[in-house]
Amino acid sequence: MAQTPSNDRTFVSRRRFVQTSGVAGALAMAGCLSDDGESDDGGNGDDDGNGDDSGNGDDSGNGDNGGNGDDDGSETLSGEVVNTGSSTVFPVTDAMAERFMEEHPEVNVTVDSTGSGGGFENHFCPGDSDINGASRPIKDEEMSNCQDNGVEPIEMHIAGDALTMAVSPENDWVDCMTFDEMAQIWQEDGAETWADVNSDWPDEEFTLYGPDTTSGTFDWFTENVVGEAGNHRTDYEPTEDDNIIIRGIADDPYAIGYFGYAYYAENEDKVKALSVKESEDDACGEPSLQAASEGTYPMARPLFIYPSEDALQREEVYEFLKFYLENSSADWIADDVGYVPSNQDMVDENMSALEDAR
Amino acid sequence: MAGRNESAAGWIGSESQVSRLRGTVFKATCLGATLLALVLMLVFLLYVVNDALQPRTADVGWLATYGVTIGLPALALAGYYYRRDTRAGEVAYTSLGLPIAATVLAGGITILFRHLISPQEWFALVVACAVAIGIIELHGTVHSAGVIDRLAVVTVVPLLAVVGIPGISVDHTFNTLFLEQELFRIAFSTPELAPSLREVILSSPVLPTDPHALLLAFTVPVAGAGSLYVRRVRESDRDAALVGVGAVLAAGSGLVLAPLAGLSSTAWIVLATVVAVPVGLYVELVVRRGDGVSGLAFPVVVGLGALLGTVAVGAAGFAGPDTWLTWEFLNNPHSRTPRDAGIYPALVGSVLMLVVVAVAAFPVGVGAAIYLEEYAPNQGRLGTIVELIEINIANLAGVPSVVYGVLGLALFVRTVGMRTGIVLVGGLTIGLLILPIVIVSAQEAIRAVPDSLREASYGMGATKWQTTRNVVLPRAIPGIMTGTILAFGRAIGETAPLLMIGAAAVVRLPPESFMGKFSAMPRQIFTWSTEIEYEFRYGVLAAGVLTLLVVLLMMNASAIVVRNKYQRES
Repeated sequence: MAQTPSNDRTFVSRRRFVQTSGVAGALAMAGCLSDDGESDDGGNGDDDGNGDDSGNGDDSGNGDNGGNGDDDGSETLSGEVVNTGSSTVFPVTDAMAERFMEEHPEVNVTVDSTGSGGGFENHFCPGDSDINGASRPIKDEEMSNCQDNGVEPIEMHIAGDALTMAVSPENDWVDCMTFDEMAQIWQEDGAETWADVNSDWPDEEFTLYGPDTTSGTFDWFTENVVGEAGNHRTDYEPTEDDNIIIRGIADDPYAIGYFGYAYYAENEDKVKALSVKESEDDACGEPSLQAASEGTYPMARPLFIYPSEDALQREEVYEFLKFYLENSSADWIADDVGYVPSNQDMVDENMSALEDAR
Repeated sequence: MAGRNESAAGWIGSESQVSRLRGTVFKATCLGATLLALVLMLVFLLYVVNDALQPRTADVGWLATYGVTIGLPALALAGYYYRRDTRAGEVAYTSLGLPIAATVLAGGITILFRHLISPQEWFALVVACAVAIGIIELHGTVHSAGVIDRLAVVTVVPLLAVVGIPGISVDHTFNTLFLEQELFRIAFSTPELAPSLREVILSSPVLPTDPHALLLAFTVPVAGAGSLYVRRVRESDRDAALVGVGAVLAAGSGLVLAPLAGLSSTAWIVLATVVAVPVGLYVELVVRRGDGVSGLAFPVVVGLGALLGTVAVGAAGFAGPDTWLTWEFLNNPHSRTPRDAGIYPALVGSVLMLVVVAVAAFPVGVGAAIYLEEYAPNQGRLGTIVELIEINIANLAGVPSVVYGVLGLALFVRTVGMRTGIVLVGGLTIGLLILPIVIVSAQEAIRAVPDSLREASYGMGATKWQTTRNVVLPRAIPGIMTGTILAFGRAIGETAPLLMIGAAAVVRLPPESFMGKFSAMPRQIFTWSTEIEYEFRYGVLAAGVLTLLVVLLMMNASAIVVRNKYQRES
């Protein structure tokens, strides 16, 4: 009779024993492997300053990758890399994960789409995830929240996006909007009808579709276009799923909404993208990846990933990040995912940030 | 007088007319509601099936060929069964459905052997359990009087066989209350004191290879159960031996034949054991009964038709449909390219999660139900409290699943400190979710056992424990199983709790243990619904939904089969 409880207790302790010894083993392994990793670093050196504007034409960046990828082909890497964060960054990270796992089939790279803020708040800062994607820079309160938990985020600007303002294809009265007009539509207590903004436009009420308040897209738009963080009307249809915005706009001639360029690229036949200009005197900029990378599209915005410093001491996280950064200048980022790839300067800067943190 | 009579007749007459109209309208309304529900469900299902299989992308010739080789003969046979021999019709659909359901089950078992427990580990576990049971039985026959040492043997022997006496490891820091200042820290660990029999077997130099281990530890017990069943129903030792040996031979032939058929030996053995044994027993049952034997022709005709159709289509060069639900879909992980995307890691995740759910929720739920029905006081103040608890359990069954997700996150991740998004956390959270359903359905099943049986048992001098064990539970088990399987069906489709406990959107490696990160089928389907590309949201998603629906329908069908079987017997 007295034996049962004592055995229960030891069973739990045994599991803990396995866990602790497992962790110790993994740490020892990481310690051994990290030496190898540092000896590889010489291979990362950049060859030419590819500082020209065309992010898409960075062929030399790809050449680098092939060389670096071969370095660690012989050792079998295993472990887990946990990615969370922005739904905008999700397609890039997911594509990186798929390609990385083709080279390292033993490493389990999981990717989750939680929204930039949701990822920091619920997963990254509590220490549950290794890398958090964000479609805006980290906020001060998030930074201090992370640091309070002993998590040190490292900022890496890995791609760009052209935020796209779109209307129904039946809308024939507007092709180009200024930031001021957009602010009038989207700010709190904004305009009710199209005619309120411009008397040439029809006297019909807006139907508004936009991203959720937890989304980095929302934060970036209010801060940079409306001009004040968080100043956004609430009587719109908020959603985490940009497909819903597309469907809403396509069905209603008086609808307007905004989302990342990738969704526009997939639905060019369903919605009409507006050109935008910062003020009345500027030239209208049509949304395109080319324009975003050249800086002629005013609503181009940066995309980030934030690895935690502790996590990238682990070999698999370090290798995944190295792979990520090397490939962030590749052409397929634009062709397959629909974002602006990094230029060589960004790659070099991220690489040195990565090496500094090791 | 006459006037009164007239008015009475008129009153009755008009009332009967009005009530007839009311009744007709009510009946029509009910029919309309039924039709609306059924048609909506049917349209939705057809829509999903169409998206997943895309039959319209096939050549007309392809559809026509299979229509002629499978469709027409099947329809003709069905017509014959319907008009001439309804009993054979029943046999026909069972004999077609049984192999399909058994194949799905075999797939699930293959997944378990591939990812959870290797055939050799299973072999060691089975041998250890067999030895433990043998010792307990032996002790029971040799020395059955001592209650205390009987209890000790029953607890210690299985423990030694399976778990052993593990080492003790303590690493705990004692803090002062509230201020969290460190007082002192205890940390020590001892090596394992005594290895379990299971581990001894595993570390022995001579171990059977995977297929042999599976044959010995999986096929032999299943074949044994089958032959015991035959011996009971036919009362013939010869037939029983024939069934047992036949089953082992059928599975064992895989060691030689499987490579020729392009299958792995383990897959052959699992298939032969899980599919051939029940199908063989069913065929034997039908033949022995001699009723509706012609129904057995149905699966043969369908199978031959499929074979003939494949040959004809290949010869004529008709292109098949561009379906999304393919073998690759079931075997691949998620991919950015819709055509390469698959559901395999999520399928494995769902199966492992279901194992956790079953182990966690079934014993607790049934135990609670037995206590509440058989032991809990039902009178006086305590009875009121018990009633209050029962009402609350019923209410818990209706709490939204997302609330359970938050509970799981708070309890298992934030308090206990397990990692987010692992199989164990997901399974325990969903186990909590279905626990009230399991308790309520088990209570219903136990309540359905007539009191006269209990009283008869008490009257013969049986104790409460003996009555519960020998009278109530055997009667209630079919009902309990039905309710539990339906609850598992709910468990496998839950999405919201998985989102809350952080099951990742994309996991490309299936979990290798209960501590691994996982994604489940509904979680993966949700991921596809938010993908940018059109093909994910319409093709891949539909294939995922169809996979999930097939698994669900199989589980519900097995629940219905269990229920029907025992209803007929009792």
